[in-house]
Amino acid sequence: MDAAVFKRCLRRSPLAQWALGAGIAALLMPVASVAQTLRLIDGDMVKEVDVEQLRQSSDSHFQVFDPYQGENVAMQGMPFAEFLARHFGRVPDKLRFTAWDGYEVTLGGWDDPNWYLVTIENDKPLTLRSRGPVRLVEREYGDRDVNSLREFNDWIWMIRSIEARG
Amino acid sequence: MKPTLDSSRDIDGKGPASSKRPVRYIKWLSLSLMSFMALMVLIIYEARWVLPEIQTYFSQSGNLTGQQLATRSRHYLQDAQARLLDIPGPEERAAAITDIELAYGLFDVDVYHQHYDCTSPSLSVLDETVTALENNNVLPVILARELLDPIACLTRIEMGQLDLRGEAINSFSDRTRWHNQVLIYTSLLIFAFGLLFWWLHDRQLRRTEKATQETLRWMERAMRDPLTGIGNRSALHQDVMQQEQQSLGLVLVDIDFFKQYNDTMGHPAGDALLRHLVLLIADALPEEATLYRLGGDEFAALLPCKDVDALGRYCQQLHLQVQQSAFSHAAHPNKKQVTLSIGATCFIPSRVGFPRAYEAADKALYQVKTAGRDDWHIIAIA
Repeated sequence: MDAAVFKRCLRRSPLAQWALGAGIAALLMPVASVAQTLRLIDGDMVKEVDVEQLRQSSDSHFQVFDPYQGENVAMQGMPFAEFLARHFGRVPDKLRFTAWDGYEVTLGGWDDPNWYLVTIENDKPLTLRSRGPVRLVEREYGDRDVNSLREFNDWIWMIRSIEARG
Repeated sequence: MKPTLDSSRDIDGKGPASSKRPVRYIKWLSLSLMSFMALMVLIIYEARWVLPEIQTYFSQSGNLTGQQLATRSRHYLQDAQARLLDIPGPEERAAAITDIELAYGLFDVDVYHQHYDCTSPSLSVLDETVTALENNNVLPVILARELLDPIACLTRIEMGQLDLRGEAINSFSDRTRWHNQVLIYTSLLIFAFGLLFWWLHDRQLRRTEKATQETLRWMERAMRDPLTGIGNRSALHQDVMQQEQQSLGLVLVDIDFFKQYNDTMGHPAGDALLRHLVLLIADALPEEATLYRLGGDEFAALLPCKDVDALGRYCQQLHLQVQQSAFSHAAHPNKKQVTLSIGATCFIPSRVGFPRAYEAADKALYQVKTAGRDDWHIIAIA
């Protein structure tokens, strides 16, 4: 069936139009549901946090030079230590991060007000394409060289889950 | 018979030369310690800062840049390509879109835009591919073929970045080699300086000790009578000061008609007589007694004094022993042998003071002389 015939069939049959719309919606559903939650794990407790909720509670705004994008960006998020305290009741000694791209790492020292959990960048929600939906960044770089990405290799992108260790 | 010196007072050194010495001494020691400390700091610096930097270069696993972003992006594109070539259903298409989105996120990095001109066109291709997949208006196999260019671009980026990394590692390796050489030579230099300063410090210490010993020897000589080897007046004062709380006997001994002896027998014989008499007096008095020569023919003895009677017995014994020795004295007006006049007193320095005790003993001696010499007398101090 070529495209012209297909279009004619659609015009004649409203039911076919509805069926096509429903089919497209069904196809898009899995895509829309990807990367919309952040999983938090603390021992046996597993909690899914809606990313949209996180965006709504992202009330810290700051400008920062993103070394990966090579430009200043307006970021919006929340202090990470506060986020941890709110959801884990403490700042765990170490955290195990799993990203949507399969990256996994365990790091400590999160009781540091310099770390922010960012959900919005330049007024747009972070997506996988923009290394979201949530990303951990530092607000101040100190004397680090922004041209050396090696100096920022503890940034964590595309966070899918955070597990408390200790 | 040996005057005791207050060595601690001498070692302290009150003179200008000795006051400068400790400063110089501290300088060498400080410099030596500072050198060794500098060496320690260098080693700690090396371990704390330089080694982690090496690790940053050579250990790139377990962090964001551990594997090239381009490599990870390519893997996602290849996964998406495999899904699209496999006649995908809705779920597979959605998974392919997620893969491309992830690949896009890892691809869209400033450093790639700057150095590789294929980056922006490739990202556009990815964008169009996602749109086409969402709209489902292009055959998946065509979209899979469209991904070849971005994959080729990513491979080019990987190779380019590997070259850059290789160059960076070579450059770092060269710098590390140079750094190590500087470190080795600097450490050796600092160590050598440390040893040099330590040697100078040690030499200074030995010189200081030698100078102190020399001073002590001079001080000791200054407290002794060179002819007889016994203490002099200064030594007597010092010894009295050191025994302020004890009951002491002070015995003054004068050789009768010693001037005439010298005039008749000659001064060498007079000197010999003085040395003999020192031995005799030392022998007659108890072992604890210390002898001093106060002047030409005047001696003093300082000894523990339990009471005046005991002191009297010592004086008597001394007097008798001289008589028995019968040193010949041709110029003596009464006898033909040497005689002694002896005056003594018993005192506690802290109560009566040495000047008063000396005055009493001298008065006793004077009484013996005025009474005709060759006798002993004790005056007790009230």
